[in-house]
Amino acid sequence: MTSADATIASKARPLPAWKRLLLSEYLVLILTVVYFAVMMFVVPEIATADTLLDVLSAMMPLLVVAIGQTFVLIVAGIDLSAPSIIAMASVVGASVMTGDAGYANGSGLEVIAGILAFLAVGSVIGLFNGTCVTRFNMPPFIVTLTTMMFFSGAAIWYTTVHTDASSIGNLPRSFIEIGQGRVAGLPLSLAVVLVVAGAAHFILSRTVYGRWLYAVGLNPKAAAVSGVPVRKVIFWAFVISGVCAAISSVLYTGRLETGTPVLGQRILLDVIGAAVIGGVSLFGGKGKILWTIFGVLFLTVIDKSLQLMGLPIASVFAIKGSIILAAAIIDAQRHRLLVSR
Amino acid sequence: MKITRRDFTVGALLAAGTMGLPIMVKAEGTKTVALLFDSLVSPFWVSGIEIMRAKAKENGWETLENISDFDDNKQFEQVKAMIGRKVDGILIIQTDSKAVIPAIRAANEAGIPMVHFNRPPAESDAYSVAIQADNRKIMADTVQFLVDEAKKMGGKYKACLLIGDLGDVNAIQRRDGFFDVVDKNTDIIEVVARVSTEWNADKAFAGLTNALQANPDINFLVTSSDFMHPQIEQVLQTANKWFKRGEEGHVLFAGFDGDEGAYARLKDGYLDACGVQNLFLEVDMAFQAFKDMWDGKKPEKLLLDPGFVITQANLAEKQDEMWGYTVWKKQNG
Repeated sequence: MTSADATIASKARPLPAWKRLLLSEYLVLILTVVYFAVMMFVVPEIATADTLLDVLSAMMPLLVVAIGQTFVLIVAGIDLSAPSIIAMASVVGASVMTGDAGYANGSGLEVIAGILAFLAVGSVIGLFNGTCVTRFNMPPFIVTLTTMMFFSGAAIWYTTVHTDASSIGNLPRSFIEIGQGRVAGLPLSLAVVLVVAGAAHFILSRTVYGRWLYAVGLNPKAAAVSGVPVRKVIFWAFVISGVCAAISSVLYTGRLETGTPVLGQRILLDVIGAAVIGGVSLFGGKGKILWTIFGVLFLTVIDKSLQLMGLPIASVFAIKGSIILAAAIIDAQRHRLLVSR
Repeated sequence: MKITRRDFTVGALLAAGTMGLPIMVKAEGTKTVALLFDSLVSPFWVSGIEIMRAKAKENGWETLENISDFDDNKQFEQVKAMIGRKVDGILIIQTDSKAVIPAIRAANEAGIPMVHFNRPPAESDAYSVAIQADNRKIMADTVQFLVDEAKKMGGKYKACLLIGDLGDVNAIQRRDGFFDVVDKNTDIIEVVARVSTEWNADKAFAGLTNALQANPDINFLVTSSDFMHPQIEQVLQTANKWFKRGEEGHVLFAGFDGDEGAYARLKDGYLDACGVQNLFLEVDMAFQAFKDMWDGKKPEKLLLDPGFVITQANLAEKQDEMWGYTVWKKQNG
């Protein structure tokens, strides 16, 4: 048998179970289940119905913003401005709805006007990011870093203009219900997330635009030669990311009953981390909504378990870092195995 | 002996179950209190959590800890996790006074007492108890001491106030306490600079530098928090204004909080007075509030720590009540 024959034979041979597991797109989900099973013995409360519902509620806003980030990552970009969009949209939307002299207060349309304000902020910042990246050929990292800095400051300034306090409260009950309400025991925000995730999945897997996103992420030059409108594709990816951040802001603001200029300021690593742990490539061309869901679930379960354990901060960082490192090592092995096949 | 897969599974389950037993046994009959901080970025909070751990231990309680890193949403999640753990009380230091309201409601629904430490929540229908320093009075007493010193020495004074983040009620109350006294003494004190620090040491440094360039004759300085002392010292040294009490060119200088830097500068004679938040008393008040609520009582929503002013005259007598002295003692053997 020649060496070529041997290679063909080895490729034809079925992979051992551990290799199949390692290559499975459900690996992160399996890791989450294993982690959860282990944690059940450390903090049994993690398996109660209330905690599981808490995990589900906690996932919702993070998942929406991570879905938006997935679009940008697929075109080999990055959107660092997502947290500042969340903050800016939160205070602008709250200033429209608040019972403390909000712009639309008493009109009967305050909730609709408020939600439109959230979406407008997300769209405008997304448009700005997309324009800078595609029209001025600026690196997404620099563009979104500067928008992050600008709008983080602008959100604080906007709040001080509208109130003497550090945040804007007294929001309409019907708006708060979006973030806190339950239907048949499940969080109302789940409905919002199902729509967003369903639409995102459809766009990525069933539309021409979805295929263009992957093509641009893999090789923009080849995509352009093939007739893909590369600039337009990238531009809309940033707009989608901005809108998703704004929807996430609606959920966060509803949960906390408050528009705050520091909302979401600490979640950037979780947003990008969740997408990447799920399997979305930082180099573009690879990613699925399902993977992002798994990544968000993984991080949320880790966070919840550490919160339940109530350990000192040093231990929490060490444990969380170790778990994410272990997941990254497993992911690296998976890639090595994929390349070698 | 050959171990079958079934033997292994049964063994593993039994071992895991046994591992869980100590947790359940330990939990029985012991009060567990959650300490939820938004950060541990200043010595005040580090000392605070250490005092809480020690005093909880004295009471025979167990503690669970969580730090939210200034993330209101994460802190809400932490409160829910502690409710899930069925703790007996939640002590919380929130970042935002309004965003904490859903967390109070969640604790109310679960029947778990909640105590806010140092920062009261915004007004709402939810019930919780807040322990807070009487900022306005402590600051007024501190500034009064400084004004009395100024009167003793004679002359006119140009004052500078380093204000905190005006989104924080503590900063507002301290500012108001300053003006309660200064406004009554405009014959000798003129406020020439108000530096907005937003609780940021870099901004304090830049703001005070600018203030001294615009008004080089500033000789009456009050800071709303002691954590800015190193920056103040640096700026005053650069401006050749860092002198001890009794030395010519000494700037009348008062602080607030009572940290280890304030103790050291007071002892060395650079600081004239410091308004001290009695951290030990505040922890006692918080824990007493838990005990009262466990006994079915309903304490007032806001309980005030009267604090005290520490100066060189009462330093030896009061230093043991100054939390910064404990830190200083630890650092200096």
